[in-house]
Amino acid sequence: MSGLLRGGIYILMAVGLSLVFGVMNIPNFAHGEFYMVGAFFAFFSFTMFGLSPIIAILAAGLGTLILGVLLEKIIFVPLRKKSKDEWVMNSFLVTIGLSIALINIATAIWGSNFKGIPSYWEGSIKLFSSVNISIDRFVGFVVAIAVVIVFWLFLNKTKIGLSIRAVAQNERGAMLVGIKLSSVYTLTFALSCMLAGIAGACLLSINPAYPNMGVAPLYKSWFVVILVGMGNIGGSIAGGLIVGMLEAFSFYFLGSGWQDVVSLSAIILILVFKPAGIFGSSVKGVWGK
Amino acid sequence: MQKAEPKGNYLTTTTTTLKKYGLSRGVLLLFLVLAIAPLVLKNEYLIHLLISSLLYGSLAMGFDFTAGNINIVNVGYAAFMGIGAYATGILTTRLGISPWLGLIPAIVFAGILGFLTGLLTLRLRGIFAAIMTWFLGLTLYAAAANLIDLTRGQLGLSVPPLFDSGSKIPYFYIILVITIIVYVLLQLVLRSHIGIAFNAIGQDVDSAQASGVNPVKYKVINFTISCMIAGLLGWFYAHFVGILTPEIMSTKVSVEILALAYLGGRGSLWGGLLAALVLIPVFEYLRFLMEFRLIIYGVLLILVMIFFPGGIASVLKSLGKVWQKSIQIFRQMREKRAG
Repeated sequence: MSGLLRGGIYILMAVGLSLVFGVMNIPNFAHGEFYMVGAFFAFFSFTMFGLSPIIAILAAGLGTLILGVLLEKIIFVPLRKKSKDEWVMNSFLVTIGLSIALINIATAIWGSNFKGIPSYWEGSIKLFSSVNISIDRFVGFVVAIAVVIVFWLFLNKTKIGLSIRAVAQNERGAMLVGIKLSSVYTLTFALSCMLAGIAGACLLSINPAYPNMGVAPLYKSWFVVILVGMGNIGGSIAGGLIVGMLEAFSFYFLGSGWQDVVSLSAIILILVFKPAGIFGSSVKGVWGK
Repeated sequence: MQKAEPKGNYLTTTTTTLKKYGLSRGVLLLFLVLAIAPLVLKNEYLIHLLISSLLYGSLAMGFDFTAGNINIVNVGYAAFMGIGAYATGILTTRLGISPWLGLIPAIVFAGILGFLTGLLTLRLRGIFAAIMTWFLGLTLYAAAANLIDLTRGQLGLSVPPLFDSGSKIPYFYIILVITIIVYVLLQLVLRSHIGIAFNAIGQDVDSAQASGVNPVKYKVINFTISCMIAGLLGWFYAHFVGILTPEIMSTKVSVEILALAYLGGRGSLWGGLLAALVLIPVFEYLRFLMEFRLIIYGVLLILVMIFFPGGIASVLKSLGKVWQKSIQIFRQMREKRAG
């Protein structure tokens, strides 16, 4: 059951990662840090301002959205002007720098100890006769899925969402039909940050907030993205669930600690034998520079 | 440097021979200053700082050998150092072999692993290869943390020192010799036909292949050499620090090496060494900056990637050009005045 919840969170993370890679060609190494920032925002809005849990989660989403806009304008706009042919690698290195900076800024501001809450909601629900699940995890999962669905509708039904997808498919073509690339980029990056922030906020009662918390979600969302193929947004949804379940099973059979070895070895095998992912998507710029 | 060389006297022939090994005047001077440093600095703490700068500088050079030449960013580089460190650590503590002998398994194990990694990343390019090495590093880290029978996990494995006396000066000379060997070796490789092949692969794999360069062979060679260097430095690290935890294999260490190499200048080799020698002591000295050390690293990395993708090396090179140009202009002016 916790495999499902984790799966829901990995979907949120992986969709954002995949989106930024598909649209902007940035392999984001700092994605986990937005998860961390989201968890911190949720912690403060929940404990200090006493907002209700749902509002706290949304506030975390809004906070990371704004952070995303700022970072895109400050860092990636100048980078796009300067670096042309080595864009993927340079932007990867820039996000590595961003990741170091964000982790340590968080340490400087909030300290390195755990900031967690016991739960958003008390109590648990009985599913069937034997399975007990706390409301907390249940609502966390529901929020995650709801956000994914809303986001899915946004991408497929609204005009802005369609223009994001158009840029992902063909940048020049999108520009020709009058889509303003720079604002699509900013929006995409900000939305991706927001999804990661919401993911961090949803899991706050299970994983307390601390500066280094982003590392595991980062490599797990990379795991999902590589599993289903870079830039394959729909596939990330299936992939998130697969990874969540895989992890729950290897935890159950092998005990904690070794689950990382199992999932990491799996991803290495996928990279070796099926580098385009199990659904075999092909995205611009994956093989070239 | 285009002006005619004075007729082959003894000094110029030596400098040209030295240049073959990549030892330009600046680099020689740097090594000389370092060699006499412990005689001047009587302070053990300063020597410790120099040791860690040289260690990180050499790691950055080994990293740059791959990143700057075949254009694959090895985000798991620290794990290869860790393999070397654990190879010597486990063999010296379990089998009781001499710490000096541990050097061989350290290099061999890291080299074998590098060879295998080279094979694994063959089909992948750019960012995929980087992610692959990252996952490999994470796997090795998780394995080291979980194989408690072998590595003692987070408790730490204590490794015997190389020397019985507590002085750090012998360690300093060992790491200095290692640094010089690493530098000269890498320069020799890069100046041979192998280096040209690396360059071709780094620029464009397809056209390299079309002109008869076998990318498989050269990528594997590059990875093996680079990881053997990591293993060698892991050996030094293990016996110098004396206690090993899986933390030396963590992504954080790899990222720090990466930051030094890129701040120094991709593909320059000496840039990473210089960056380590400057930045590590500066941060240690400015204690009040210590808290912000990693923030500054991150921000510097971002700024360098945006504004100076060539790093310190390219800035220095262009400064050197400006200097030469101004000397030229000065000379011309003087000649005009004289003539």
